[in-house]
Amino acid sequence: MTAGSLTLCDVQVRRCGRTVLQVDRLAVPSGAFVGIIGANGAGKTTLLKVCAGLIRPDRGAVRFADNDLTRLSGWRKCSLRRHVGYIPQSAEYNADLPFTVREVVAMGRTGIRPLLAGLTKADYESVDHWIDRLGLAGRRNQTFRSLSGGEQQKVLIARAMTQEPRILMLDEPCASLDFHWKYQISEIVERLYDRAKMTVLMVSHDTSVLPQACRRVALLGEGRLLADGDIDEVLTPETLRLAYHGDLETPLVGGRRHIVRSSRACDGSLEFMSRPHK
Amino acid sequence: MDPFFYLVVLSGAIAGGSCGLLGVYIVGLRLPFIGIFISHTAMAGTVYSYLLGLNPILGPAAVSMVAAASLATVRPEKSRIDPNVALAILFSLMLGLTFLGIGLVQGSRSEILGLLWGSILFVRMRNFIVISIAAILFVVFAIVFNKELKVLLFSRSVGSATGVHETFVYTLFLALCGAILAVNLPLVGGLMIFSLITNPAAAAYQVCRGHRAVIVTSTLFGVVSAVGGFIVSYYLNLPTGACIVLASTLLFALAAGWRAIRGRAD
Repeated sequence: MTAGSLTLCDVQVRRCGRTVLQVDRLAVPSGAFVGIIGANGAGKTTLLKVCAGLIRPDRGAVRFADNDLTRLSGWRKCSLRRHVGYIPQSAEYNADLPFTVREVVAMGRTGIRPLLAGLTKADYESVDHWIDRLGLAGRRNQTFRSLSGGEQQKVLIARAMTQEPRILMLDEPCASLDFHWKYQISEIVERLYDRAKMTVLMVSHDTSVLPQACRRVALLGEGRLLADGDIDEVLTPETLRLAYHGDLETPLVGGRRHIVRSSRACDGSLEFMSRPHK
Repeated sequence: MDPFFYLVVLSGAIAGGSCGLLGVYIVGLRLPFIGIFISHTAMAGTVYSYLLGLNPILGPAAVSMVAAASLATVRPEKSRIDPNVALAILFSLMLGLTFLGIGLVQGSRSEILGLLWGSILFVRMRNFIVISIAAILFVVFAIVFNKELKVLLFSRSVGSATGVHETFVYTLFLALCGAILAVNLPLVGGLMIFSLITNPAAAAYQVCRGHRAVIVTSTLFGVVSAVGGFIVSYYLNLPTGACIVLASTLLFALAAGWRAIRGRAD
């Protein structure tokens, strides 16, 4: 089954004469959950946008459901992109506009309906279904801008799900959320993945918020794919040193594997990143 | 009121309403310099159409439509310059070209200088018909592409990822934007038209809940600014363009004040 599969071959993205992303090969089979991790500026968001067809790489191929996104015409690319549920970082959407929650969620149906056609009753049934499922029924007619950061993330997830995506792409969905919301959003993504069995790509600089279902991670460093595979095999002191330029360890704390600075480097201070561990 | 002024008021209402509606998208897209750039392109187009003896309505409209639509080809993610900075530079280029053109005009320059301030009192039936057609075209566009425009306002990248042909819709929007600004220029003036685009929409965004409410309110605020400004100028014998700008600014101040009193509980 290739409906939600994605393969990047020899992809290179250059900006201002500098290579910001270089991935020789990254294959994501349909139904996989892959975490994309790395330090700030490592190229995580660029990689996600290349996968979503939002950035055309300067070189290489991006195959989604047996089509090369880099070679498709505008209209054909649009019809494929509607299968991508993309949740951007907060800087990429205008949260100041007075859209209601229902309006934002309904945006997910835009690509499903043809150009010039309005949304139907069936579309709004899907919208209301996802509003209810994400626990936003009481917020339906409130404006998006009046919600907390965590609630806004839930609305964006509901918007992406009304799109009936084959692949869900989340860009730092838990950034700037408190602990309560971080884990709530992480659990929501995990539950959706378990039930919908779609492909999920989730970018996060904080590995602790990757759901437990995410057993595979792609580690980026300075625009290059440093390691890709099982989370326990990728998060080694050697690869982490390459990605974060520091001595890091991955001890088990409270049933979770944390990424912490090595005791040699920080004399036991608790500056750490962590991830859930089964 | 003289029957002639009914045409003036009606023209003002259509100009105000169409600028108010256009402003919903210009302000919502967070690129106010697009409005400034296009309005000054329309000014340059009008000046050079005058110099070259081209049609005074179609010449500027064609220039602004092409210039506006070409903005859609600019890819911010590939550019080394911030889009607003690039637009500000292009705006200054258009301003320079406009004044260069004005300087090249032989004889009396009063007619061409009138473009800077506009002259709603000198509206003719021909102007009325053209601005009405442009307004109708834009309303049809806003209705037909409502769902696509909504998602692009929220986020252009979300729009693209949702399957919207962002470049197509955005180019069409910018071309219509150029047309609206160019045909309304002789009435409202190049220096004033921008306030009629931003102020009603910014006021509507302060007080409304939901996209439809913003569209209706901004259009109404545009009409009230234009007609209210004209009536005040008529009875107090004040410059019309200035009164329209001040009326729209007053509406924004009232809306912002109302929201501040009411709080952000929306």
